[in-house]
Amino acid sequence: MQVDEVLAEVRDRIRRKREAGVYGPEVEAALRLPLPGGRPLFVEELGDPISALREALGEDVEYDPRSRKPFVGPFITLARRFVMGLLRWWLVAVRERQERIDRFTFRAIADLRERPSPGFDERLRRLETQWARFRRDMVAADLRSAHLHARFGGEERAIRAQSERFLDLFRERSRVLDLGSGRGTFLELMREHGIGAYGVDQDDRMIAEARTRGLEVSPGDAAEHLRELGDGTIDGLYAQHLAEHVLPGELVEILRQCRRVLAPGSPVVFVTPNPATLSVGAHTFWTDPGHLRPIPAELFRFLLEVEGYRDVQVVTFAAPEGRRLDERAADGAMRENVRLLNEVLFGDPDYAVIGRTPFMTPVAE
Amino acid sequence: MTIPKAWRFGGPPTAVHQFHPVLSPGDAMSAHVFALRAYLRGLGHESHAYAVEAKPGVEDVLPYRRLFRTLRPTDMLLMHFSIGHEVFGQLARLAARKVLVYHNVTPPDFFTGLNDHAALHARLGQKQVAALAEHVDLAIGVSEFDTNDLVEIGYRNTATVPILIDWTKYEVAPDDAVLAALSRRRTRILFVGRISPNKRQDELIRLLAYYRACIDPEAQLFLVGSYRDQPQYHARCVALRDALDLQHAVTFTGPVSDAELVAYYRRASVFLSLSEHEGFGVPLLEAMHLGLPVVAYEAAAVGETLDGAGLRLYRKDLAEAAETCGLVVERADLRGRLVAAGHRRVRDFATERVAERTREVLGL
Repeated sequence: MQVDEVLAEVRDRIRRKREAGVYGPEVEAALRLPLPGGRPLFVEELGDPISALREALGEDVEYDPRSRKPFVGPFITLARRFVMGLLRWWLVAVRERQERIDRFTFRAIADLRERPSPGFDERLRRLETQWARFRRDMVAADLRSAHLHARFGGEERAIRAQSERFLDLFRERSRVLDLGSGRGTFLELMREHGIGAYGVDQDDRMIAEARTRGLEVSPGDAAEHLRELGDGTIDGLYAQHLAEHVLPGELVEILRQCRRVLAPGSPVVFVTPNPATLSVGAHTFWTDPGHLRPIPAELFRFLLEVEGYRDVQVVTFAAPEGRRLDERAADGAMRENVRLLNEVLFGDPDYAVIGRTPFMTPVAE
Repeated sequence: MTIPKAWRFGGPPTAVHQFHPVLSPGDAMSAHVFALRAYLRGLGHESHAYAVEAKPGVEDVLPYRRLFRTLRPTDMLLMHFSIGHEVFGQLARLAARKVLVYHNVTPPDFFTGLNDHAALHARLGQKQVAALAEHVDLAIGVSEFDTNDLVEIGYRNTATVPILIDWTKYEVAPDDAVLAALSRRRTRILFVGRISPNKRQDELIRLLAYYRACIDPEAQLFLVGSYRDQPQYHARCVALRDALDLQHAVTFTGPVSDAELVAYYRRASVFLSLSEHEGFGVPLLEAMHLGLPVVAYEAAAVGETLDGAGLRLYRKDLAEAAETCGLVVERADLRGRLVAAGHRRVRDFATERVAERTREVLGL
């Protein structure tokens, strides 16, 4: 059973119904309507015990001593009332004591929650500082990226050639977003072809450089920028060498947000290093300390599919000129083996995964 | 799992009896007891069903007190366990080959503040299962989920044997009145099971509000099952239905006959379970057997019983659950695949297969 497919379709339908206003506040209120006639189910209250405790403290307990049994019923009722009468003052005393204990306990828990805890706060602060440093160290954030780019960054011509492959996908678009726009190579290409586009990047130097070329680039984090955008406000997305810089969960969040902010039928293109080529996966990928982990094409494709993108494809680029094994062997089998080996060792350095958001389809009857 | 050593040397049991505190008609567990009894008698064993209380409608049940007089040390006693009862403590002391058949105990948290009596018995049940560990020779879980529980509680000699279902009982002609009442033009969502807070019929009612607002304004929900055991929860579910203005859309059928049950399964559009605790889940199999696609929230033994033959919901999101049902209703191909997978799955629970497994595990 294609469960992922079903789930993607289900989420898509919910999203469309929200947009259309069919699934509005009234329905939401119905879904949250508490069970009438008493407290919510105990299993639900357990989810928020402190506020439930506050309410439970003031609650009265009722006991109905009446028996509904035929004939003997009235006698049973009478007997119960008699026993209750006998025990009443003893129970009141026990209850008073229990009530005091309950109130103390509740107050103690509530106080503990709100009271500042110097030792704990200090440890938390230390942890936060260490964590921030760890995040910086993990991607060598202090290395000056312009220098790094000068040494290891791709040649602008090659980057532009890669981008040109997808030009047709973006024709006639008016607001394309380039996530991680860098020097603005892609944005420049868009401008040359009369396609409206803007970029987002985290690197101030890159942004400055792009702006000197007259390009629209704003500073910011990819996922955060997407979260701020309204539904369906852009109509194309390009992200070259972004995915390998974010954690897997963040990538999923980016895909989810893109799906929301892209108008129906908009193209998305993600370009990333191809770990299937061993010299890339084992070597060149790691020349950028900001790379977190390589993403196999099959996984990236799956992520797009499960997030509801349509017509998902993996596109590879031509292998670069340069170091290769000599394929001019005399023997046919040997030649084929060398060719295969070349492909595995020195094949496509990057791949792109492309897809589009689904077109609006009429809501089911 | 191994057959207890003492049994192997002691020869076959002289009789195989069963006990459950309450035996009532239309209850999956009682049906299991009676199906097992028929099978054991068919094997040539002397076999009786004992209970503290036999509800009207069940016959041939002996009072449990007789066990203290007649049970021989070479007899086997299957104690079916789903809720606590004072009697288990007494039975534990009987000299016989004792087998616990564990159907799981609904956690008391579901009943707390709602039905003190049920919460008390559920709590007692949890304590008793632990206490019985040292008194029984073998413990059988009706699902792997239940068996894992047994192992965790401390049982050493365990096995899994599913519930024995007599599938011939579904060969009755569906009830005409029910067939006529379920119009084919609307979506008909079905859930079968006692009205009980662990089965979360309240969530099904809320879900119907979404379904009618966003998918099919004529959709109907049928809650088949007795509500006698949980009158408080039932009354509050009825109040919820009324508060959502769904009086004409939600039907509490109460207990039904086999013919009526078959008619509900045959004529419904989809079986939906949002239950949060099931030790096995017979209705899931009934639905699959009778060709109804199943959508179910993954909780306790539900996923294991479905085993990929239904659409599982991994989080409690009523809108998602409703849309999943909508998809199943709308897409003939998806429904077809689910029904086919359901039929395949039900074969694993064929009467002969489970009977054979029972025989093997009990060393009969």
